[in-house]
Amino acid sequence: MFGWTLSRLPLSAKVFCTLVFAGIGLGCLAAFTQAATAIGLSASDVAASLAPEMPMTHMGHGQMSAEKELDIGQLSSAAKVWIRTPLLIQTSHTHLFGQTLIAGLLGLIFLFSSVGEWKKAVILALPFVGTMLDIGGMWLTRFAWPSFAVLVTIGGSTFALGYCLIAVISLYELWLKQEAHP
Amino acid sequence: MKQRRIIIALIQAFWLVVGGGVALAHVTPPVVLISDRDAVLAMTAGAKKFFVREVRLTPNEREALRQQRGWQPDEDFYRFYLGRDDAGKLVTAVMFLTEVTIHGPVRVAVGLGPDGKVKDAKVVELSEETFPWLKPLIDLDFTRDYVARDSRASFGLSQRVEQMHLESMPLFYAQIVASLIQRAALLFDLTLLKRDGKI
Repeated sequence: MFGWTLSRLPLSAKVFCTLVFAGIGLGCLAAFTQAATAIGLSASDVAASLAPEMPMTHMGHGQMSAEKELDIGQLSSAAKVWIRTPLLIQTSHTHLFGQTLIAGLLGLIFLFSSVGEWKKAVILALPFVGTMLDIGGMWLTRFAWPSFAVLVTIGGSTFALGYCLIAVISLYELWLKQEAHP
Repeated sequence: MKQRRIIIALIQAFWLVVGGGVALAHVTPPVVLISDRDAVLAMTAGAKKFFVREVRLTPNEREALRQQRGWQPDEDFYRFYLGRDDAGKLVTAVMFLTEVTIHGPVRVAVGLGPDGKVKDAKVVELSEETFPWLKPLIDLDFTRDYVARDSRASFGLSQRVEQMHLESMPLFYAQIVASLIQRAALLFDLTLLKRDGKI
């Protein structure tokens, strides 16, 4: 881009890019750990936290009350987090802004890599697409069908894959790739 | 040279926006103090059998709560966990209620006796942000002040909480917890005691 490539950046710019990747990588690890401990990583964990609460008594639509015996073991002994609609709205707007800006910063650096245009376009798009799948999946899980929870997992993985590809390729070009001098 | 300046300015501008975005993208993680099972077991001591009763409010009941108590129930249904003795008599009904605030959710478990009076109440979940505000009150077991109150009682802050001269945020969240306890008492009264009297 503009005749610049990552391998030809001045030292200060290389340090800047490297620290950006390191910071975002650590942030991703922290986010992963928080998601794993607070909600869980499997689609069923996500569905359990996001899907609307269903009656345990098979109370039909329009029925005013129902009762059934309960095995106390059915109640969760684990600390469980339920994401309700107001929290989903809050999470969506902060994550859409935050993740899109992070994806933008990653993409901005990656624009200067010497990877071919098509590959660059696809890899650069991964964190953006992952963010949209992630947040979109949360809304679909809550309001359309709990099985859409799988989209949240796929979205998170897509974001992570995009970050890894961008970081690895960029760091290689920043520090290891030898630019052929004309 | 001009191109280089443009690129550097572009990167700096983007970094500023990212900094602002990250500051805004601040979602405090939840703090779960006790699991549902542990809360139900702790509040239903003496119960031999457990039941779950789910109730829907009629439009009239919703309107009555809104007009008389200033609370607009928004859940499709409400759930009670009922602990009964060997003879099938209710020992305690436990209900979980949540208020989602700007600082995250506050979830409370409330145990009610067969007469509709509060037997116990515990904060079960809150956010990392609200936790420091409520911790001194939780340590004080402030929900104990609402024991023996029913749906007709006042659920304002107790004298001992007021005497602590707390900041505004702990007082605000103490009032939210008290309101949730009151809502549980109201729902028990409305849907279990008044509706058919069969509990």
